Order: sequence, then structure tokens, then C-alpha cells
Amino acid sequence: MKVIKKMSMTMALIAASATAAFASGQQAEEISYYEPGASIESIVVDAAGKGQVGNWGLGNEYEVQALLTKYGQPTTYLSQAFDMDGFDDDSILLASAMTYNELGLVKNSYDGGYSYGEGVSYIDMNDEGVAMLEDNLFTTAAFAAENPETVKAFIYASMKGWAYACENPEEAAEIVFNYGSSVSPEHQAYMAEQVKKLVETDTMGNMVRDYGKMDEAAMAQTLELAKTYIKLEDSVAASALEAMSLEDVMDASYWEMAMGSSGAFSPEKSEVSIQLKWLPQSQFMGYYVALDKGFYEEVGLSVNIIPGGGDIGETTAVYTGQVDFGVTWVSNLIAANAGGMGLLEVAQVYQRSGLVLVYKTN
Amino acid sequence: MKNISMDREKISTILYPLMFGVFVIAMWQSEALHFLMGADTFTLPLPTRIFTILTENLPKVLLNTKATLMVAVGGLVLGSLLGYLLAIIASTFPKWGMGGLSVVSAFNAVPIIAIAPILNNLTKDFSRDPNIRSMLAKTLVVMITCTVSMSVNAYRGFTELKPFSEDLMHSLAANKWTIFTKLKVPNSVPYIFTALRVSVPASIISAMVSEYFAEYIIGVGRMIRENIVLAQYATAWAYIAAAFVIGITMYVLLLIFEGICMKGRRA
Repeated sequence: MKVIKKMSMTMALIAASATAAFASGQQAEEISYYEPGASIESIVVDAAGKGQVGNWGLGNEYEVQALLTKYGQPTTYLSQAFDMDGFDDDSILLASAMTYNELGLVKNSYDGGYSYGEGVSYIDMNDEGVAMLEDNLFTTAAFAAENPETVKAFIYASMKGWAYACENPEEAAEIVFNYGSSVSPEHQAYMAEQVKKLVETDTMGNMVRDYGKMDEAAMAQTLELAKTYIKLEDSVAASALEAMSLEDVMDASYWEMAMGSSGAFSPEKSEVSIQLKWLPQSQFMGYYVALDKGFYEEVGLSVNIIPGGGDIGETTAVYTGQVDFGVTWVSNLIAANAGGMGLLEVAQVYQRSGLVLVYKTN
Repeated sequence: MKNISMDREKISTILYPLMFGVFVIAMWQSEALHFLMGADTFTLPLPTRIFTILTENLPKVLLNTKATLMVAVGGLVLGSLLGYLLAIIASTFPKWGMGGLSVVSAFNAVPIIAIAPILNNLTKDFSRDPNIRSMLAKTLVVMITCTVSMSVNAYRGFTELKPFSEDLMHSLAANKWTIFTKLKVPNSVPYIFTALRVSVPASIISAMVSEYFAEYIIGVGRMIRENIVLAQYATAWAYIAAAFVIGITMYVLLLIFEGICMKGRRA
């Protein structure tokens, strides 16, 4: 990467001697970072005006689009790769990052990090009022109706895992690392610390101790933003989305009964599997801890955790019955149900949005 | 007598595949296909539903189709020209020509998913407009794919001549240029089409895959991916249908073009 950068700088110098106009454009690009005290509006307007706001797309873009709309900008964005090279080489000025993952890579200097440290700052979707809820726990409505005890047992043991993981994030990170990790142990530890914050704090910044609780207000905001920003070309699915209510995507009763129980269940189906949204990492530490500590065994379940990655469709995997449970973002579940999948959220693990837009400061 | 049987043959070569196609679509629409494959109408939506989505979103589908076509055709033309040029160079210097082409064909072994992100990074300084620089990156990917098949095939066209034809030209005191234009180039024409029969489908596939990695979100391939991830299978199938139309149209055009150019050669 460094070599390429040098080459492009040399090219810029050659261009500078050729045309003054081109050179001034290049120079403006070199120093266009933001002042630490700059207002969020001015940053968003500037980056959007230059067409340099990045997001991964594929259903991860709605909060960013809501933020762009809030500041009167068009909702187009650059397609961001799964690394932060685009942010590093300044082709993206305002880059999407998860607090527990990309933000750590940008700031930290461990293996795979970009070592920006305090040289970056970020815009938090929760503070901006455009937060949508992310990692949940879901199954199909049909599976839940047929196997209520299994669902309750799975929620109970998983939330016990999350409680333990949040209490002991370092140990949880180690457990996840041992189950097969895509990233370094240092990054897993960083991730565990950050995920703990998302699991234990709501969108308004209040402490949450009821792991997996479904916050109606935050869910309602998620659905409302989803209806505004999920654009479906299929008219049947689009009208289903338009008419969707919270009852069509979630049912809090399983979680309430599970958490109010003594921990004794008689599961209808004892061998179950859960499809993660991404690679094995502390983002999902609660499930790995529950498996490792035997919490699933205690409630009579034998659990297989299936990692995701790339274009794994966790919604499709649960819908087709390849797996029984899944972790997805609420917006993805809403889109899937608009298409007619009949999925049901049974717990909401992340209480606030982990998405931020990161930018470099002068 | 001969003409009638020829016509019959022609009709049957078109009719049988067409009948098979109609049969498959009938099976599909009547859900017999779903029964056989154990699929449901959600992951494999009915043709009528797919067609409805296509017609309802025609402007958007056409916009994405145009983007994919421009990349596929642009890369195909550039790659084929470059490949032909490489073949000329290789056949002019036979001592290292074939070895050089072997190195070029090694490029073909590099998967598109590895080349596409690299070219994305390398073309970032080309333009401030992400649409334009993405277009360049995607076209380059297609170009690389198409260069190899053309260079290897055209090289064979230049070297695998009719026995003694080159010696005959030499004995008639023809110079190198005459041998090239009167013997080698005409001899390479069938080989060009052999290459294109591989390159045309490959150009569409590589255009669609490189769209996955492009900075600017456009194209039939990208839309298939976006919709599958969002579990919008009916819409994804509408774009798959668009990709199918692009592929068939380009291939039929190639066959027609080949028929014109090869008239009287393969009888």
C-alpha cells in the first residue's frame, strides 16, 4: 500500500507541474481532514458533498442514509470493502465502522490495526437519533410455536452466557479465540470490551441489566427507519413492509417466560444449531461462553454454533431449516419478513447501535 | 433433396432446445420443478412473479443492464485486441513467443475475486467520480480475462498453417508482410471465433463478479448479491433473468457474426 501511495504522490507532482488547476485539486485532497471541534453537520455535509461517505451496503446502510437525510444530503454512498484501506488512503472521508471491530482496527496498533490512535474521531448513530438495533436472536415463527420449551431454554442459557461474558470480557475473548478466530487475541479482547458496552447500554445511554430485553421504543424506531430506507423493487414485498408492525417481527413472551423461569426446561428438540452473522469473534461471545461453560447442557440442549462470513444469509439459513436459531440485525429480519420469511425475534442482545462514522482529524 | 434435409436439420437444432426451454418453464410455473428439487416458491419464485418485477422496475433494470454491458463489451473488445496483438508479437518471435504466452495464461489462473479488489485500489486516482473509476477497474478485470483466451487461440491461428503453405509463399518470394496478411491473418479467423466463444460468456461473468467489489454500486451482478443478502429472492431472480438475457443476446450476436465471417469456410 505504501508503494502505491508513493506512486500516486509522484503522479500528483507530475500533474502539478502540468496544470495548476489539477494540482490545486490534489492539494485540497491532501489536507481535507476535519478540525477536532467541527460540528457533525459540517462534517457530514462536507463528506457527502464530496461523495466520500462509505458503507458496506448489503443491508448495513440504512442508519447512514438516515443520518445523511437528517442533514439534507442525498442518500448515496461509496461501497466500502471489509477492510479500512479506503479510509486509510483517503478515498473515503467518512467511513462506516462498528465500535467493536473496524473502529478498533483504525485506532489500535496491534496486528491488523492502522494505528491512528487519537487522530480519528467518530459520529455515533445513537447520539444522532438514527440508531437501529443490530445483533438479535431469532428463529422462525413456526419453530417457536412448535418448540416453545426449546426456544425458552435456548434464550435462558444464551443470556446466562451473555451475562457471564459481560462480567468477564477478558475470559470471554479467550474462549472465543479458542473456538477458532479470524482475528488476533488482542483484537478479540478489544471487541469483547466494546460489545459489553452495546449489550449493557441502551440507545439513550442508560444501563441495561436485563440481557436480551426487547426495548419497544428502540425497536419501533428501527422499524420506522427500516420502512423509510429499505427500498424493495418487489411491489408485493414493498407493500408488506409498508404494513408491517412490531408484532410481525418480534415476540417478547419467550424471553419473558425464560427469564422468569427457574431454569428447568423440557425441550421438544434437544439438538439445536445457531447461525452467526459473521466469523467467530467476540461479537457473539455470549453464545460461545454458554457453550464452553456448559450452560446449554444444563438446560438439556446440545448446541452447534455455525459461524457466518461473506455472503452467508443467516435469515435464509434459519428460514430453510438448516439451522434453528440465528443472529442478525433487526433491519435484515424486517427485510426478510417483507419478502415473506416469517421469522421471529425472540431476544434483542444489542441494546444500542454499534455503527459509527469515523473520520480523521487535523 | 439436400436443401430440404439441411433445413430440417436447422429447424430441429432450434426447435428442440426451444421446446426443452418451454417445458422447463412450464414445469417451473406449475411448481413441478419445486416438487422435484424440494424448493419452495420463496427461494425459487414463479416465472410470472419474476416477470412482473422485471416489468415494474424496467428503468432500473435497464440502467443496471447497461452498466454491466458496457463493462463486459468494453473489456471484451480491449482484451481481445490486446490478446491478438500479443499473439502477433509471439508468432513474430517464435523463440520465446510460446513461453511468453504461457506466462500470460498464468494470469488466467488468478481468480477474479483476487484481481478485482487489487484493480479497485490501483484505479482510485484515475477519477474523482467513483462511477468512472469503478467502471475502469471492472473493465480492466474483464480485459485480463479476455486477453488470455484470444492470445493463446490467435497464436495457434498464426502458427498452425496448412502444411507447406508457408513454404509455398516463401518459394513465390512473398515477403513477411504478405505472408502475414494473406496467409496468417485469414488462417487465424476461425481461431478468433474459438476464442470469442470462450470470452463472450467469460466477459459477462467477470463483469458481474467485479461489480461485487466496485466502489460504485451498480450492475446486474451487484443487484443479484444485494437482493439475495436482503432475502429478496424474487427481485434477485429478476436480475438473474436480466443476466440471462445479456448472455444469450451476446452469444447469439456472436454466432450470427461468426456465420457472416465464416461463410464459405466451413461447408
